[in-house]
Amino acid sequence: MSAVLDHGGHAHDDHAHDHPHGWRRWVYATNHKDIGTLYLLFSFTMLLIGGVLALGIRAELFQPGLQFVNPELFNQLTTMHGIIMVFGAIMPAFVGMANWMIPLQIGASDMAFARMNNFSFWLMIPAALLLVSSFFMPGGAPAAGWTLYAPLTLQMGPSMDAGIFAMHILGASSIMGSINIVVTILNMRAPGMTLMKMPMFVWTWLITAYLLIAVIPVLAGAITMTLTDRHFGTSFFNPAGGGDPIMYQHIFWFFGHPEVYIMILPAFGIVSQIVPAFARKPLFGYHSMVYATASIAILSFIVWAHHMFATGMPVTGQLFFMYATMLISVPTGVKVFNWVATMWKGSMTFETPMLWAVGFIFVFTMGGFTGLICSMAPIDTQIQDTYYVVAHFHYVLVAGSLYALYAGVYYWAPKWSGVMIPEWKGKIHFWGSLITFNVTFFPMHFLGLAGMPRRYADYPMQFADFNMVASIGAFGFGLMQVFFLFVVLIPMMRGKGEPAPQKPWEGAEGLEWEVPSPAPFHTYETPPKLDATATRVIG
Amino acid sequence: MSTAPMTRPNPIDARDLRRRNLRMGLILASVAATFMVGFMVRIIWFS
Repeated sequence: MSAVLDHGGHAHDDHAHDHPHGWRRWVYATNHKDIGTLYLLFSFTMLLIGGVLALGIRAELFQPGLQFVNPELFNQLTTMHGIIMVFGAIMPAFVGMANWMIPLQIGASDMAFARMNNFSFWLMIPAALLLVSSFFMPGGAPAAGWTLYAPLTLQMGPSMDAGIFAMHILGASSIMGSINIVVTILNMRAPGMTLMKMPMFVWTWLITAYLLIAVIPVLAGAITMTLTDRHFGTSFFNPAGGGDPIMYQHIFWFFGHPEVYIMILPAFGIVSQIVPAFARKPLFGYHSMVYATASIAILSFIVWAHHMFATGMPVTGQLFFMYATMLISVPTGVKVFNWVATMWKGSMTFETPMLWAVGFIFVFTMGGFTGLICSMAPIDTQIQDTYYVVAHFHYVLVAGSLYALYAGVYYWAPKWSGVMIPEWKGKIHFWGSLITFNVTFFPMHFLGLAGMPRRYADYPMQFADFNMVASIGAFGFGLMQVFFLFVVLIPMMRGKGEPAPQKPWEGAEGLEWEVPSPAPFHTYETPPKLDATATRVIG
Repeated sequence: MSTAPMTRPNPIDARDLRRRNLRMGLILASVAATFMVGFMVRIIWFS
């Protein structure tokens, strides 16, 4: 048993009164584990809300013609689905994982700014309420797309202001969260935990946090200017007053493209933890993984206009952004190569976390390839704003970010809850999700190549079959997430299941496995002494 | 509520660590604020 048990576990198992109970524990939470739990529960709730909106979209598109919603509401559904999933589900879920795991993985007692951590989380609740309640405001919810393009944003009702306010709040929360993560990682590592010994999840989050600090203010600036265009007579983006809507697109995508990597880099980190654990080999090419992550982050700043090839930019501009985008496939390829090389000749087993991780690698890589196709300006001119793009980004965001999140949940849940999730539950969830996901999104490639545009509530007869297949898949995928809620999550939270040992996965390495399961309320109150690899506590 | 003493690599007292954390946090926050305000000022004055 480790020294941590003697210090942390013993002391605090005996003194369970050292933290508040009941609602105060959560409202006044400053403990990184409690705040991590809050973030994860919040993001799963938002995932379900965003999922319901997605099913509204798919129900309408099940057949040609208008069945359930009018085109105005359809646009609101697509817009709010995007905003809620990006800002309410995926990003907070990774922040939740960061809160739970980073202090444990670096041997710190808590996050650097515990009270600000509480504030970061609780800011998200009013923002979420503003977003959801915007459906009931005059004129309905924002319907300008998740990108909030001008001049659409300048023509909308009061819900647009609610949306902008919500985005400001979410942005403030993200910046505070990022500052907390950077300071925690740089200042609070245990002795011996040098930068190049940090777990990959910590590395990817360090780089992601820098990205967030750099680009969230740009989004905040852009939507502030949208607000002044709407209410204070400016014309930054309003062509009626001499403004330039294309400038908004440039500014938005200067934020938006790094945002894509903000949603995928921590996913890379999770997969980089899980693959070595279940291949029972050290991660192949740790250093190159770190440098590839940093390279992706740096390159993400110079590729934004590949989202705008169809806006009529000069050919030289198209060429620059095309080649810069294609360049990103190099560090991404390094990562995929390293994961495969880690598995090569490993003693692999396929418990649920590994299934999600391997599923991630396979399906995310498919999304990466279609991304490469989209990056080529002449092809993009054809497939811009078609379902091909919808298929592409769902392959990288659902099969990428969401799969990695589930991989992380199944991997670390024994440490969080103290119980093992039965394998059969995880396997049903994984295989059900993998099949239904592909049934949903694979046909969209064909729809896009055939020319079906995004964001329309109706379509010609020729697209009917693939849309019907996609809708059936979407409802199946939704069902699998409901399965996760009722069969996996709620029983786990109620403590049902086999008690988890301190290290439930034989090949897992890292300081998080040096504390008991479930992790005590306080861990690493005094700096642990680490072995040479910084993965074991020795005193 | 966490009252645990904070830790860091080098032997250092908790107050000093808080000071270091606060300094780094303020630097990062001012970088973020500069990005937002600087970017808007740039667009207003130079476009």
